[in-house]
This record gives sequence, C-alpha cells and structure tokens, in this order.
Amino acid sequence: MSYYNNSGGYNNPAYHDSDTLQIDRSPPRKSQHGNPHGNPYPREDGAVLRERSDLHQLPGGGQTISDDAQGRVPWGGLQEESWRGEDCLPVGLLPPQSESPQWQHDFSHSGYQVDQKAHYDTTPLVRLPSTTSGHVSMRFRGSRKMSLFPVGEAALCNLGLSEDDVKNEMDNEEENLIKELVAMSTRDRIKAIRDLPMTFADKKHIRGQVLVFKSFKKSQKWNCFADCSKTVTLSFRRCGANMTLAGQTLELWRGTMKEVGGKFGTGVLSYFKFLKWLLMFNIFSFLVNFGFITIPQLVSDPVISAEVNFKGLELLTGAGYFNQTVLYYGGYSNESQGTENKPEYNMQLAYFFTIAAYMLLCGAALIYSMARSFRKRFVLDDKASGGAWQLLCTWDFNVTNERAVRQRKNNLSIQLKESLSDNIRLALLPLSDRLKHYAVFLGTWLLSTAVAVGCGAAIYFLCQYEKEAVNKSSGSLVDEASTLLLPFVVSLVNLVVPLFYSLFRKIEVYSNPRMQVYVIILRNVILKMSILGILCYYWVTDVAEQFPCWEAVVGQGLYRLVVMDFLFLMLGSFFGEFLSNVIGTNCIQSLGVPEFDIARNVLDLIYAQTLAWIGIYFSPLLPVIQIIKFFVLFYLKKVSLTRNCQPPRRAGRAAQMQTIFIAILFFPSFVGAVSLLAYTVWTIPPSESCGPFRGLNTTFSAVHIWIHDLEDVNSARWTVWVFQHVIQSEIFYFLITLIIIVFIYIFWQITQGRKQLIALLRQQIVNEGKDKAFLLEKLQDLQKSKHSKPKPKKETGNRPENESSPGLLQALLARQQMEEEEGRSSTFGVSMPSDRSTSTTSSTMVHAMLLRQQADSQAGSYRGVPFPAEYPALSPTSALIQAMQARQMAESEDEHHRTPVPSQNPVNALPSTMIQVMQARQRAQLELDQDEPYRAPDSYDDPILPTSNAMMQVMQARQRAEEEEESYRTPVSPWLAQQQLQDKYNDRY
Amino acid sequence: MGNKQTIFTDEQFEAYQDCTFFTRKEILRLHGRFHELAPHLVPMDYTNEPDIRLPPTLTVTMPELKENPFRQRIVEVFSEDGQGNLSFNDFVDMFSALCEMAPRELKAIYAFKIYDFNGDNFLCKEDLEKTLNRLTKGELTPEEVSLVCSKAIEEADLDGDSKLSFSDFENMISKAPDFLSTFHIRI
Repeated sequence: MSYYNNSGGYNNPAYHDSDTLQIDRSPPRKSQHGNPHGNPYPREDGAVLRERSDLHQLPGGGQTISDDAQGRVPWGGLQEESWRGEDCLPVGLLPPQSESPQWQHDFSHSGYQVDQKAHYDTTPLVRLPSTTSGHVSMRFRGSRKMSLFPVGEAALCNLGLSEDDVKNEMDNEEENLIKELVAMSTRDRIKAIRDLPMTFADKKHIRGQVLVFKSFKKSQKWNCFADCSKTVTLSFRRCGANMTLAGQTLELWRGTMKEVGGKFGTGVLSYFKFLKWLLMFNIFSFLVNFGFITIPQLVSDPVISAEVNFKGLELLTGAGYFNQTVLYYGGYSNESQGTENKPEYNMQLAYFFTIAAYMLLCGAALIYSMARSFRKRFVLDDKASGGAWQLLCTWDFNVTNERAVRQRKNNLSIQLKESLSDNIRLALLPLSDRLKHYAVFLGTWLLSTAVAVGCGAAIYFLCQYEKEAVNKSSGSLVDEASTLLLPFVVSLVNLVVPLFYSLFRKIEVYSNPRMQVYVIILRNVILKMSILGILCYYWVTDVAEQFPCWEAVVGQGLYRLVVMDFLFLMLGSFFGEFLSNVIGTNCIQSLGVPEFDIARNVLDLIYAQTLAWIGIYFSPLLPVIQIIKFFVLFYLKKVSLTRNCQPPRRAGRAAQMQTIFIAILFFPSFVGAVSLLAYTVWTIPPSESCGPFRGLNTTFSAVHIWIHDLEDVNSARWTVWVFQHVIQSEIFYFLITLIIIVFIYIFWQITQGRKQLIALLRQQIVNEGKDKAFLLEKLQDLQKSKHSKPKPKKETGNRPENESSPGLLQALLARQQMEEEEGRSSTFGVSMPSDRSTSTTSSTMVHAMLLRQQADSQAGSYRGVPFPAEYPALSPTSALIQAMQARQMAESEDEHHRTPVPSQNPVNALPSTMIQVMQARQRAQLELDQDEPYRAPDSYDDPILPTSNAMMQVMQARQRAEEEEESYRTPVSPWLAQQQLQDKYNDRY
Repeated sequence: MGNKQTIFTDEQFEAYQDCTFFTRKEILRLHGRFHELAPHLVPMDYTNEPDIRLPPTLTVTMPELKENPFRQRIVEVFSEDGQGNLSFNDFVDMFSALCEMAPRELKAIYAFKIYDFNGDNFLCKEDLEKTLNRLTKGELTPEEVSLVCSKAIEEADLDGDSKLSFSDFENMISKAPDFLSTFHIRI
C-alpha cells in the first residue's frame, strides 16, 4: 500500500466513488474485527482512526454520519482502502489481513495508531518519482519481498512494529503487485513475473493469483468472446514457445560452446560466437543466392560445357573447370527464362535484386546488432574503475574447468598486485621517461604505417606482374599455379605482419592495457584494409579494362584469396599455436604456453568475411566456400585452443571488445564491400561476352530497362512513378539527408542531456547516502533518549503530560537539523528521492518516525496549554485547541523555514515543499483528531460554533498552504500530484 | 515427454515457462540434471510436486558449480531455507537467474546476495575480503587483501558509509558491461 497510492491510487476511479462502495466492501474486514469496543472513539485522546472500515461499525447514529463524513475524509489509508475493495478480488484470493487481537488491543488504546498509518503513508511522499513506472516499483516490491533490503523492515521492527505489521505491509505489497500485474498485457506480465527477484514458489503463487483474478474478471464479461480470445492467445503463446524450442534444437555447437566457455571463459567464447554469427550470415547468403540465382540458371540451362577436364588444381586456383560453372558470374546467361504460358524469369533482375537484397539485409542485421550491442554493453570508460570492478564483476561464472579456475585465480592475484604497484609507479614517472614513451609510441606508429604502405605497394606491383603473366599464359599447369602467387603473398602478409605488430607490445608502455589492445587492432585494420583497397583498385581499373570476361577473373581472384586465406588460417593456427606451445613448454620455458589472441583471430575472421562480401557479385556461390571454411575453422580452433593455448591473462571487457568487433565488421569491412559493389554496378561496364548483364552499359541499366518495360503495364504505374520521382530524384536524397542530420543533432542533444542527468543522479546517490547516515544517527539518538522514558508506542496515552516537553524539544531539534541537512543537500537540487530503494526506504522511515514523534510530542505538550483569548471559549474540546495550535505552529515553522530558501531557484525549494506537504499531512491528522469529538454530538451543547470556527481556520490555512505550494509547483510533477491529492482531500473536507 | 513417462504436467510446464526463462526442453534437461545428482532421491515423476531437497554437499558436485569459488554461497542464496538445501524449484530458480536471458537487474540482485556473505545487505569490508580470498586462493598477503578491499570500497562507495550498498553495487555493475555475460552459468 505504501507505494501504490502514487501510481494507481490517485488515478484510480474508485477513489472518487469510494464512499458509496465502501459499505459493500467492509464486510470481509468487519468480520475480523468484530465489534469489541462498542464505540472505539469515545474521547479526544482516542483519536483512533486506524481502519476506516471500523467507522462503519459505529453503533446507532454513528453509522450514517461516518458513512457520509468519514467516508470522505481522505487520508493516508484511503487510497489503499479504496482500491482494495473496488475490484472485488475474490475473497479467497486475498491474503488474510492478519490483524491479531494483540495488534488491535495495542492500537485501540494508544494515541499512536493514526501515526501508525501515517507512518506508512509518508513513504510514498518521498517515493513518488520512483514509482512512475510500474516496472520499477515492482522491482522494489520484489526486492523487499525477498527482503533484500530489509533495512526498511528492520527499521520497522526497531521502531517497535510487530511482525504482524510487517507481514501486513508485505501482504499489501503483494496485493498491489498482483493488481499491477493484472492490468498488464499477457506478454508484459510474463516478463514482469520472470523478472521478479523471488523464489519460484512465490512467483508461481503470484502468477496463480493473477490468473485466477483474470479469469474471474473475464467471467463477468461476455463469456464466449473471452473464451475465444483466451484460446487464441494461448495457442499463440504455445506456438511461440515451440518456435523457441525449435530454435534451440537447431542451435549449433551448444555443447562445444559450453566446453570452451568452461575452459577459457567468456572472452574466448566471444570469438566462437562471432564465428558462428558470421557462419549464419553466409548460410543465409548461400540459401538466397542458390535459390534465386543458381537454381533458375541450372533449371533453364543445365548443360555445363565439358571442354576443360577437372585437374585438381582448380580447387586452389578456381580457374579452369570452375570457370564454366555457375560458381562465377560468367556462368549465368542473360536470357529471360520461361515458356510462353508461364511468367518469365528475368535473370538480370534476379541477379541484381538478390544481391542487393542480401546486402541490404546484411547491413540491417549489422546495424541492428551493433546498436544493440552498444546499448547493452558499451559503457563509457570510467577511469576510476579498477579494484572494485575487478573484485566483484570479473569472476566468470562460466568457467568450470579446474585448471582454468586455478589459472584465473593466479591471473587475478597478479593483476591485483600489479594494480597496487601500478598506482605508485605511474605517479612517479619522470619527464624524461614520459618523453621516451612518446618517442617509442611515435616510432612504432611510423614503423607500422610504413609496413602497411610497403605491403600495399608490394601487392600493387605483384598485381601488375600477375596481369602480364596472365596475358602471356599458355594455359599450362605452371602458368595456372603461378596465379597463386598473389594470394599467397597476401595471406603471408596477413599472417606475418600482425605477429610483427604484436612484438611492439614489448616496447610500448601504455598506462591502460585496453588501450594497447585498441592500438593493435587499429594497426591491423589499417594493414588489412590497405591491402584490400589496393586489390580492389587493381580489379576495378586494370582487370575491368583488360579482360573480356573480367567479372569471372575477379571472381577467380577472390576465390583464390579465400581459399589461400583458409589454408593460412589453418597452418597459422596449427603451426603457430602448436609450435609455440612446443617451444614454450620444451625449449624456452620463459615464453610459456601461447595465449589465445582473441583480437588477431577475430580480425582474421573479419578479413575473410570482407572477401566473401566483395565476392558475392563476382562469384555468387562463394558463400559455399566460406561456409566450409568457417565450419572447419570452428573445430580446428577448438582443438588448437584446447591442446595448445592458455586463456588470455587479461580477461575483462570482453563484451566491449565484441562490440568493437561488430563495429569494425560494419565500418571498414561491410561499408567498403558495399561501396565497391555499388561502384561496380553503377559505373563499370559489364563484360560484353559473358554474364547476365552482357550488352548493357552498366549493370544498373537492367533496372532502367525493366522500368521502361513496366511503363506499358497499367497496374505497375506506381512502380514507375516511384522509380522516376523518388529513386532518381536528387531532391528526395537531399531531403532525406537533411532529415537525418536534424535527427542526429536532436539525438546528440538528448545524449548530452542524459549525461548531465546521469551526473545529477550520481550526485543524488551521494546525497542520499549522507542523508541516510545523518538520519540514522539522529534516530539512534532519539532512541537512546527514549530509553529514559517508557516505550512510547504502548504508553503514550498514559504518559504524564508535563513529561512530553523534552520529547518535543528533542523532536524539534532533530527536525531542525534534518531540515538544515536537507537545505544543504539541496544545492544540487536533490533530496527528491531516486529509485534506490535502500536509502530511500530507510530515510523515509526515519522521516516518518521523526514526524510522528514530533506530532506526538506536540500534541502532548499542548494538552495543558491555556486556551488563547482570541478563540471564543465555547467549550471546544482540547483536541481542537491542540489542532489549531499545532497547525499554527506548523505554519509559523513553515514561514521560518522557507525564508532561507531562495525562491528564484525552484529546485532549491524542493525540500521545503516536502516539509510543507508533510506538515499539511500532519495538519490533516490533527484535523481528523479534532473531528473526533463531533462524532458523539451529545457531549456538546453547541458544537456548531466551534466547528465552523475550526472550519474557517482550516480553510484559511489550506488557502495559505495552497498559495504557498502553488509557487513550488512547477519543478517536480510527482510532488504536484501529491499536492493535488492534498488539495482534493481538503476540498472534500 | 514422448513415449516416456510424464515428468511434468502441462500446467507445470506453463508455470515454469511463465516464471522462469526456460523452455520446456530446458526444464526437462534441468530435471535430468537434478535427477542425476541423486537418482535414488529424486523421482522421475514430478507431477505431484514432491518436496525433495538436496543438501549442498550433493549440489555443489555438479560440474557447473564444482570449481566455482562461490558455489556454497550460490546454493545458499537460492535455497529457500538459506542452508543450501535445494528443492527442484530452487534449482530451476538458480539457473534461471544465472541464464543468459535474465535481465541485468535480476542478476545484480542475486550477485549482490552472493557477495554479501554476512547477509547484512551491505558489502562491507569483510565481505570483500572473503570474496577476494576465494578469488585468489590466498596468494595475497593479508595486508594486500585489506589494501585492495579498502581501495575497492573507496572507489565504489558513493554515499560515503564505507560499505557498498546495493545502489553502489548496481552503479558499479552498470560500468562493467561484462557482468551480464560472466554472471552466467550454462547448463
């Protein structure tokens, strides 16, 4: 209940008609209470209003009055009450309201029970902002239910609440939870239930209740429709579950993945996941290409001219026999297939659109996973994070292998030791050393760039050489084998240079090991992309001009590169890792067992995939080779890993690395491939003698021709229009670009705002902590001071009145300090609580406690004060006097505390607003107190005059309060809601 | 399922599917694993929901947990009695919270509980020291352990009470993107 009234209670329609419904609802509760006290509110000190349903039991005339008047008195428990009844939960479903006789007894004789309610009721005040979303509030409840944060509950117990009360509170929470869940859609509900941090039994219980409640609700509506929709949703859900099941059955390599993760941890596992992901891309690409390009071609023209015999070397070179097949671009015809009575299949369009669609889908998938990965995993580096993070977040629960665990422990302790010494070392670094580091840094960068440029140049000249060799070739086996030189050199460069780069690790000194990894990645990417760039340049300029069927030649080149890369990957991983393992274990012990270099291996994969993407236009079936390659690579790497490698020492930030890899796969790799393809399609004339696009100016002319044909077809006019006015118009692209730029700008601004917000929230946590510590201290002081006198809860009523003044002093003092504290903390505009339940709960509790204490002692102390002269002494009860005086005092305090707050800064005013609202509530309680006497009219001769007087007073006070609150209304809307609640309540009064 | 005897009824399956992150197949697999731990204790037929709890000495022998330095804590946190005696539901709960699908908040809550050895809802220095000792198998000297722990607290403690509350912990986790993938046990 304590949280509910913010989110739902206020908006709850039942709130408005609660007074009429109330009578119907009371019975279930009534039966528990019985009517043991007759009239439980006989005197002024019995300001007893603990359960509104009790009011209905007032004997005789009291019944009607209470229904009418008290029914409208909205105070803390009202919202809770109103919803609880309103939906007519099946009685059996409700957790029993365990109000033990003991509890009753305590409360009926103390002046405390109103506060008791108020105590609960104060919580939402401070909790408002956090409960705006149901999900968040649910988390709280769940957490509290699991007593993850029993600080609040412990405080409750400390404050003298019985276990029953706590249990009650929890039951209420559960009800609220169920209520919230019922309001959700099925999908959301399942998600919410799954996310609850409870035991399965509790979740099941809640789920059961929600379901029963749902069906109960439904059965009141039209039955048939409900049944139908229920069946439909159920079958949909079953279908969805089966789909996931099927997906899991198809899941490749689950056991292997688990094994790898168990032995080498998440970092290495991410390599295998990446490999699998790329494999999926290629399988998809193969299916699409095979289905839409190859099969039609094979169906229409299955004859493969067998001029050249299969010699075996083709497997490496891709030339010769393969040249005639559908493996390459050249193997496809430009004819439209199909007989007269069937619609024809336009090979040109199929070729073009299949590849375009595949590239589009790839791009979409990449952007999607990149964005998701960024959102989920990429966290801005916090330079301070070190020890704590290492301690609590790095342990990999995946690891199950005993040796790996031992090694991890070793690594961690080494790292921790290093981090202890690092701090000292870095701080003491002299200028000369730093200069030396910069010089080394510069030198390595120059060297690596020079190597990359040199490799690029070497490959360019090699390309020129190959061109001439092919021109002169006589078709002999040696000539064919000589074409392998270029891919051999490229693969060799790809294998050796990264190893050379990794030697820099020994010279360079980076303060941050991650920085080092990034630098190595960057260098490797530059190298690979420059090599690929040179190759592409060679293909689109020299090859495209010289060869009659140049697309097939490019296709062959790519095939050779892919195959050679595959061989080198195998050799590299096998001999590289195997040999260094042998050397490390047998010859040079200091080298040790090689680590699995995730970054280098992933970059190899990215390179391979780039080749496949480039090749998809020139050789539509290249994905087949790629699939085989990745498949073999998976097992090879697994074996090599388990035999030869040890897990990387620097575990950590694997997820971040994964994000970076996807980004690299997207940016230079995919974007590069797409731009090359786009250039080819739009500008380079396709070869005259072979391929589907023979005879056209550019590949894209196929689309022009198609559109031209469509102009004659009436039903396809819109396609023509779209093509002419959208695809071909500059204005469209101009507008699109403009809109995108505007959106980027807006989102960028939002990001900036969020950053500020994050800083604010962080500050808020800090402040909350300080508040909490302070208030807890105060509370302890209070409790210590209370030890001298009897326990307040049970004996407030019996307490001699003159003893209450120390309590009052104490409370005032505490409050004063509390407000000062809040004033101080409000410099940051905080004190409005966050959704951090721990601190909020406890501080709220303390808040409430202090207020209660104060109210109590105030009430106590004013009991004996002589009546002020300006009030007509027409025998109003002392409760009335108390109320007025307390209110007066509260108001004067308001004035007093408001002055130091600069009103031009609305944020600063927050704490005072809070105080205000609390005081208003307090006032409300006092008003309720003062209301008590009039329920038994026979004890007064003329109750009307004091009543009206009190009413006037109240009205004035309210007006004032509203005016004051008006000025603070703008900053925070939840407060507004609460204030409106207050206003509404006043109105009702 | 299939021609074998029924282990769970459809209602049970649905309850499991709604309340955990598992599919039918995974529930069955989990049951298989649970059954494996104590074939003579755990019946194949779970339709009448027998209340059988396996003691921690049995559950921590699972290969998934055997080498985990926090195995004892994990079973304790997820057991209903806090002593580590796991019923099948607790068992499912445990792997549900540790599975890949579980959201960050849920994982954070359970991770916090696991690291909170003394159960006072704060990660205080003793908790961290215990954690560290488990993570490094006692290679660090007591001084080093103490130094690392106080440094960690100093770094992560935002509210200045020299212990880590849940919000501190959450804040720290939000900066550790790996947490989601490492606080994860495959079954």
